[in-house]
Amino acid sequence: MSITIHSLSKRFGSFTALDRVELEIPKGELVALLGPSGCGKTTLLRIIAGLESADEGNILFDGEDTSARHVRDRNVGFVFQHYALFQHMSVFENIAFGLRVRPRARRPSEEQIRAKVQELLSLVQLEWLAGRYPSQLSGGQRQRIALARALAVEPQVLLLDEPFGALDTKVRKELRRWLRRLHDELHITSVFVTHDQEEALEVADRIVVMNHGRVEQIGSPQQVYDAPATPFVYQFLGHINLFHGRAHSGWVRLGGLRIQAPEYQNTESMPAIAYVRPHDIDLLREPEDSDTTISATVVRVSSLGSLVRLELLQDSDGESTEVEMTRERYAADPLQAGDQVFVKPRYLRVFLNDDPKRTPPVHWNGDGDGI
Amino acid sequence: MAFTRFLTASQTAPIRRTTTESPAIRRLFIGMALLFLTLFLFFPLAAVFYEALRKGLGVYFAAIVDPDALAAIRLTLLCAAIAVPLNMVFGVAAAWAIAKFEFVGKSVLITLIDLPFAVSPVIAGLIYVLMFGAQGWLGPWLVAHDIKIIFAMPGIVLATVFVTFPFIARELIPLMQEQGVEEEEAALVMGASGWQTFWRITLPNIKWGLLYGVVLCTARAMGEFGAVSVVSGHIRGLTNTLPLQVEILYNEYNFAAAFAVASLLTLLAVVMLAIKSVIEWQTRKARLAALAIRGEPE
Repeated sequence: MSITIHSLSKRFGSFTALDRVELEIPKGELVALLGPSGCGKTTLLRIIAGLESADEGNILFDGEDTSARHVRDRNVGFVFQHYALFQHMSVFENIAFGLRVRPRARRPSEEQIRAKVQELLSLVQLEWLAGRYPSQLSGGQRQRIALARALAVEPQVLLLDEPFGALDTKVRKELRRWLRRLHDELHITSVFVTHDQEEALEVADRIVVMNHGRVEQIGSPQQVYDAPATPFVYQFLGHINLFHGRAHSGWVRLGGLRIQAPEYQNTESMPAIAYVRPHDIDLLREPEDSDTTISATVVRVSSLGSLVRLELLQDSDGESTEVEMTRERYAADPLQAGDQVFVKPRYLRVFLNDDPKRTPPVHWNGDGDGI
Repeated sequence: MAFTRFLTASQTAPIRRTTTESPAIRRLFIGMALLFLTLFLFFPLAAVFYEALRKGLGVYFAAIVDPDALAAIRLTLLCAAIAVPLNMVFGVAAAWAIAKFEFVGKSVLITLIDLPFAVSPVIAGLIYVLMFGAQGWLGPWLVAHDIKIIFAMPGIVLATVFVTFPFIARELIPLMQEQGVEEEEAALVMGASGWQTFWRITLPNIKWGLLYGVVLCTARAMGEFGAVSVVSGHIRGLTNTLPLQVEILYNEYNFAAAFAVASLLTLLAVVMLAIKSVIEWQTRKARLAALAIRGEPE
């Protein structure tokens, strides 16, 4: 079932949780609502479920307005961050709950319920836990049971609120791959809330980046990572380096760098900020050309498994810069703390400081491999 | 070298925990607590049974099967049987409203629930006399319709309900607040109705807390003296509850009978205490399980 969200607003007292949100979730997709805490993503999810009501705007399921529909009639599955399993019921009874509370006319027989629960338990690969109680399960098992329970009512939409937030890193990674595989099997329209960009990038078909109750960008993981629409998206997804400077008559000057920027042809000396990812930077031993490199000193070298991260201080203004490279590349020229280097951004984007919402142009500097 | 010396030092020095007091101080405090309990609780309780049985078992049972005493037992149990279920319904409803919803006047409601704790039971009794007594606001109307509240059982039940009202609500509010609303929300999303959610999710989650409140409420309902004394009228065999019966017998210098009836009341209290301990033990188990499920340390 497709979900259309139209001009949705929600306020809690003077706090605006959602500000005219527009969103289209196509049928069968797995969509991540990504943003920092307090950005409104959970509120949006709860409004879709019917657990909260919006102040303005509406939500359409397959084109049909659901605003007046009670939460129990929306036919959604909801998975809570802290599982919300019924503690006094066995795993079997937890999963069977949604079927048992149906009005008698629509209630399946005891055998049908048993078969359905068995089917769901084998779907989440936990058949042997049917008789256990939630307190006897591990965190990962609880969340899988919570998912089986949500699926028992055959929902048309599956909503997950930070489903892996309470789990430790290793289990979280296993479980999100498992969720992805499960979604590929079931193709149920799913929305999950997360503040973990890695999780969103790995699992989702499409990412909705939110901030301050607004949608900043909607796109595939690759789109939002490689072509962020706003400075916020740039900063939220992955590490970045900032270079402050000015744009003037088609050129942008950032410390010692000078870059051509034709779209700022008519800009008269505006403050500008350039965003560069740590892995989009080359480090040279010799200056290439005074206009394409910035001299800096290596402060610290740290190894992060497959990557090596270098912290630099720019010689001109003492701004710090982070550079990441593969182990192999680092081994070819192992820089040490105290070495003088020349920073050459391969790929950067400039935003004018006066209008942070504006979609920035892409700049190529030299012949780096960019995206 | 240094390492070996360290090892021997730790082996020879007595192991002392740095966070507890010395054994002497601990013994002193435990001793003081025990002495206090013995003097103020155990001796008086033992005295009740000693006095009750001093003139032999025959006198003891004669006092208990006395028609007036039997009537008092019946009235006490009946009042508790009416007041406790009423307070169960009120208490659960109030706790549910306070713990699960936000509304204007919530703090006023919480304060009102505590009122019976703050007001002297005698005042509570007088309120009902003022309202329903022959000279009270509703007195003439009640007399005209031949309804007796004061100096009759309805008055005693009303006074008991008033005095014992906070016990169940007070027990449930923090429990329900701690449990939050996620399980109820999960049930609603799966299509459960409000009633189904209450009976299948909320009630099982609060059952031990509710039972605990019921036990405390019952113990107090059977033992209440002040408020009941004001509204009862002390009619023997009719409006005397157990505590009132004890007082009457005592005032008549019928000590053996007074202590026999008092021992009965004490036994009821001890039974309630035993049930309460079992419930506390069960609640602790349920609480630990609930904590384990949220992955929090205790």
